[in-house]
Amino acid sequence: MFRRILVANRGEIALRILRTAREMDIETVAVYSEFDRKALHVRMAHQAIALGGVLPGESYLVAEKILDAAQRSGAEAIHPGYGFLAENAEFAAAVKAAGLVWIGPPPRAIEVMGDKIISRRAMQAAGVPLVPGLTDAVDDVAEAVAAAEGIGYPVAIKAAAGGGGKGIRIVHEPKEMASAFRTASGEAVSAFGDGRLYLERYLDKPRHIEVQVLFDAHGNAVHLGERECSIQRRHQKLIEECPSVIVDEALRQKMGDVALQAGQAVEYEGAGTVEFLWSGGEFFFLEMNTRLQVEHPVTEMVMGIDLVREQLRIAAGEPLGYGQEDIVMRGHAIEVRINAEDTTAGFVPSIGVVENLRLPGGAGVRVDSCLYRGMEVGLAYDPMLAKIIVHAPDRDKAIRRMRRALEELNVSGVRISAPAALAVLEEEAFCAGDFDTHFLEGLDLSKPRGSEEQLAAAVAAIYRRHRAVDRALAGSGETRRGWRERSRAQTSSYAQAAARPRSGGGA
Amino acid sequence: MKYYVAVNGHEHEVVLTERLGELLVEVDGEVLDMVYEEVDSLGQVLALVGNTSFGVSIEGDSHRAGITIAGHFYDIEIEDERERAAHAAARASGALGGSVKSVMPGVVVSLLVSAGDVVEEGQALLVLEAMKMQNEIGAPAAGLVKAVHVTEGEAVAAGAKLLEIEVTEAE
Repeated sequence: MFRRILVANRGEIALRILRTAREMDIETVAVYSEFDRKALHVRMAHQAIALGGVLPGESYLVAEKILDAAQRSGAEAIHPGYGFLAENAEFAAAVKAAGLVWIGPPPRAIEVMGDKIISRRAMQAAGVPLVPGLTDAVDDVAEAVAAAEGIGYPVAIKAAAGGGGKGIRIVHEPKEMASAFRTASGEAVSAFGDGRLYLERYLDKPRHIEVQVLFDAHGNAVHLGERECSIQRRHQKLIEECPSVIVDEALRQKMGDVALQAGQAVEYEGAGTVEFLWSGGEFFFLEMNTRLQVEHPVTEMVMGIDLVREQLRIAAGEPLGYGQEDIVMRGHAIEVRINAEDTTAGFVPSIGVVENLRLPGGAGVRVDSCLYRGMEVGLAYDPMLAKIIVHAPDRDKAIRRMRRALEELNVSGVRISAPAALAVLEEEAFCAGDFDTHFLEGLDLSKPRGSEEQLAAAVAAIYRRHRAVDRALAGSGETRRGWRERSRAQTSSYAQAAARPRSGGGA
Repeated sequence: MKYYVAVNGHEHEVVLTERLGELLVEVDGEVLDMVYEEVDSLGQVLALVGNTSFGVSIEGDSHRAGITIAGHFYDIEIEDERERAAHAAARASGALGGSVKSVMPGVVVSLLVSAGDVVEEGQALLVLEAMKMQNEIGAPAAGLVKAVHVTEGEAVAAGAKLLEIEVTEAE
């Protein structure tokens, strides 16, 4: 096993990896941008190396800086987490060329699965079911309109280099094509530096179901069941669970076998996720994510397997040591992503400094978070601040446990996505398992749902009065204002930095 | 002291009266038998209504605040009688201007119109990128673009004026 590894990431996923490494007596090396110098992952690693720069494009996305940090720290292997360089085949190859171990799949597998068009072809050849659509990119609006006639409306426009919901637009009729094509292409260029788009059929009442797989270097492979990720908005997931209510044991075996088939076709190694769209009993290959997923903890809770430990073991050349028949599912797990966004105003990003913080606890509650008091939340990095994961004997109990956990959570300074998640968990249809990938978009979240308005009004008035009394007693109140202005100044200098051109990244 | 508190857009009247060092709380004309105690200086508050306990957190300033009670968020706008009168006067002189404001902090990726352009309702004016997502900002009404306040590549705050549109058909 490795003696020392470098974690080329930030936020909750960097912490997630550091934690398992520490439990395995592996020394950890964190890297950080100037913006993250006080971040938790810096403080929880054995070593921390400054990358310089504020934005991702100046720090976490610069391969040379990461490799240099690895050499200087004496790390033997690099774990990329998710986002940033995790699905960059060139970087994976560079890590290997530098004599280091890449804790991830072979660069060739990343390359094939990272390109939607090439991966479609590879999957077609491997006999994996695909959504009806084109395997070639369309060059312009006219070509897209012509192609859409053949596929049938509604069609989805997707970025060939895409992932994470960027560069995707749904077109219901020909006249919407021009605008959708322009924004999708712009988003694809900005996020991936590649504006190529392709089309496929948009399925009715689809559910997003993905299968976790593990392949070791000795030809052993297992699938670790499914995750249901249909509660999403603009293809950004909010709530994930394991298992899915619509997957029975027979379907689980079938989807698992197809997922393994997909991985074998690209000679996969390590942990990966094969995403499917399920519609009316059929399922179609969507993409394979050649990395750890944000929502991997729900699988860990139900399977009792630490996926980061498995990644490290596989990268170190160890055999899996267990087979499909050894995999046992226990209970039900749900994850809610805590993002910095105002869900009542269409999920717009929210920025600020976190002052008040109360995280949930208690039986069956796991918190994967990078939050701390004084943390600044800006625009250039991913808005995901934390994940709350619950595990319970069945789905109903897991839903109740998650509601309870979210009721305990407080984060100030930024608006967070928790109230929207709570609203979903209180919906009858969700609790009955009756939903698809449009469920969240169809929910009216513009009006907050709390029923304690009078109490809130009273608290607000008393709070205001107390502050007025504080000011009267403190005289000038200079100290507090000084602090406020300082934190504001930091935020605004950051906003200026964000205005500089930047490259894509984040998860 | 009387406060007008809009909670999630619904107006409530709160009257606070101090009597022998005790704070008497009335909400919408009814006495609320409550205990209010600040746990720390960060906004954690213990609120007891009768014997019912609520874990409350609050943040903000004297005009705008956010309250979280049991996971639900309450958006608060608060004014006292003097501020209410001042605001009412300002609204009466009312500028129903045609400025398009940014609803989120972000970066202007591309400008699709310039001053002097005539636009239709819903026509894309510019593309704003936030959190790596690109959003088209459409014209709120048909009219003439009078001024453009931003440039491509510029970072804008939430609420920043992006463009001015003069409505051509006034009705």
